[in-house]
Amino acid sequence: MLLEKFIKYDGLGEDLTTKPFNYLTAFVRKLYGGGNMLRKVLLFFVLVVCSGLIAEETEEKITAEEIIMTMTETLNPEQSEAVMEMTMITSGGQERTFVYKAYSKNKGEKSLMKYLEPGRVKNQTVLMLNNADDIWTYFPKTKRVRKLATHAKRQKVQGSDFSYEDLGSSNEFIDDYNSVLLGEEEKNGKLCYKLELAKKEDSDVGYSHLVVWVEKDAYVPLVIDYYHEKDPELLEKELVLSDLKVIDNIPTPMKMVMYNKLDNTTTSMGFRELTYDVNLPDDLFTEMGMKK
Amino acid sequence: MRSAASFLIFVGFGIVLSFLIIPVANAEELDIFGYFEPQFILLYREGQSYQMNSDKLRVDLQSSASNVEFGADLIYNLYYGKKNWNILDFFSEEIRNEVPEAMQYYFLVEFKDTLYLDNVYVRMSNSKIACTFGKQQISLGTGYFSNPIDVFNFKDALDPTYEQTGYNGARLDIMLRDRTSVMLLYSPIEGGWKDSGKLFRLKVGLGHFDFAVTGYEFQDHLTDFYSLPGTRERRRLAGLEFVGELFGLGFWGEGAYNFMETSDDFYEFLLGTDYTFESGLYVLLEYHRNERGKARYEDYNINDWLRFYLGENKTICQDQIYAMVSYPFTDLINLQLLSIFSVDDGSAAVVPVIDYNIFENVDLNIMGNVFTGGEGKAYNSRLGNGFIIRARVYF
Repeated sequence: MLLEKFIKYDGLGEDLTTKPFNYLTAFVRKLYGGGNMLRKVLLFFVLVVCSGLIAEETEEKITAEEIIMTMTETLNPEQSEAVMEMTMITSGGQERTFVYKAYSKNKGEKSLMKYLEPGRVKNQTVLMLNNADDIWTYFPKTKRVRKLATHAKRQKVQGSDFSYEDLGSSNEFIDDYNSVLLGEEEKNGKLCYKLELAKKEDSDVGYSHLVVWVEKDAYVPLVIDYYHEKDPELLEKELVLSDLKVIDNIPTPMKMVMYNKLDNTTTSMGFRELTYDVNLPDDLFTEMGMKK
Repeated sequence: MRSAASFLIFVGFGIVLSFLIIPVANAEELDIFGYFEPQFILLYREGQSYQMNSDKLRVDLQSSASNVEFGADLIYNLYYGKKNWNILDFFSEEIRNEVPEAMQYYFLVEFKDTLYLDNVYVRMSNSKIACTFGKQQISLGTGYFSNPIDVFNFKDALDPTYEQTGYNGARLDIMLRDRTSVMLLYSPIEGGWKDSGKLFRLKVGLGHFDFAVTGYEFQDHLTDFYSLPGTRERRRLAGLEFVGELFGLGFWGEGAYNFMETSDDFYEFLLGTDYTFESGLYVLLEYHRNERGKARYEDYNINDWLRFYLGENKTICQDQIYAMVSYPFTDLINLQLLSIFSVDDGSAAVVPVIDYNIFENVDLNIMGNVFTGGEGKAYNSRLGNGFIIRARVYF
């Protein structure tokens, strides 16, 4: 509102709305036209007020796409190597824990998971290329590699609340959804951007839309709500990310918990080991790499 | 000449080996894991019930350094209950009467306790080449229920994912570039180079599809149960396979044309498709044609039946349809329904399955089987209806 008045005062025109700093320079020019003390005092107060307004205006100008882009880059560093623990809790309260090695490259475009525990899945490997558009699974007892079609992305990983789509698709927030910034909101004690991501018409993701709370300083999502593909009002899953730590200069949520609201089950994932400072060979993300 | 060729092959492998062995680091500790699998089978046929139990212990040994892996598994099987069977009891009277009196002895089988090494191999690899020597798993093809290209394994269509025994050979895998690889296999037998198995396979990934061409020359054995032992002849298999996606459905296929040295050439192919619904319901369908099978069930003879059960022929009939429906009932319980339908004689087998991960490292598997066909058909009720309860405890 105040900025509009400045524009009228200066008569500079509408193009200034996209260039906040021009408001200030134009106004300063106007005030310095005379040069008396009263004008200088007034100038001081105007500068203080304007700097606040400009900062606010600059922040408001960040788009939903920019937030999602930055968040995706933060979540998907160039390369990573980790040992992860995934624990699922069934609706009956039974626990199942899986430990696996996870490798990713090209900002998550390629990823490989190799199970270490428990014994029944030991050495089973899942290779995901092209952001999980191509998935292969390797069964060590038969040494057989099986390619899964895109629809298999919806399948649960080892019966957990994470699907292959949830784990392997690094750019899905950009490629599969149109994002809208709903505003700012405090979530889990942190100030966040609140965004709604609506499924694009040509996308084959298994959710109608997502609501994401992105922590303002670190650009890390704190909560993601997944809504049902057929019933957009129905909250299907909620992912809560916590224990933010800086690993190799990259802010990283060390714990993720997926709550399945329909099945009343929970799956948590955490890092036992993690490094981004690696140079993984491309050969790791091949059929031969799966068998190694 | 043949022995010279075999010698050269081994020298070649030796050179590759030496390149791979040089950078070997110190071996890590031996990893020991495996499972114990008690199994109970109840079978009903012709008004009588039979029980057979088995206990299987599999111990896997694995040790790997930076680029050398040693693997072996030891299997110990113990059998209880009805261990002695006469195979002829499962066939129609017409078939039984075909077998000469003097030959009947050969059809009595006894399940004996066994202890053996199933896979024993050493695998040396760097980022581009892997060389595997010894008894190892060789699995080819894209089919779920059956694999026309895979002559190394014989899948039980009623239990298609159960592990297979190893195959002896020297194998070289070369990664040419991303999603492009070559596999060479030499499987020596007594007859020398000419009679030994020689396989070449090129696998290429294009878009969302994987393709592979396979050429395999080996000795094909068909037992003649009228006048044992049978025939051996050279078989040259030319195979093509693919797996990918079409109109949102998973789509795969594999075909093999077999050039026979003396008998008639034959072909075999399989086409399959699958889909996962939003609810998690998974549906799979496959069609399998085997020209070596017979189109009329009236023509099935004892050779057809036993070659099928021994794995010398993949099917008894020519055309089969396989179907599987799978649904995750809970996070720990998966329900399946498998079905095999013989297009030629109209008989079918239906197999309901419950998979329950009862504890962290314990799987419980309950399988039923119902054969619907009449006397003499591929899936006839004389084969016996019943169920299997199988637990598997991993360590």
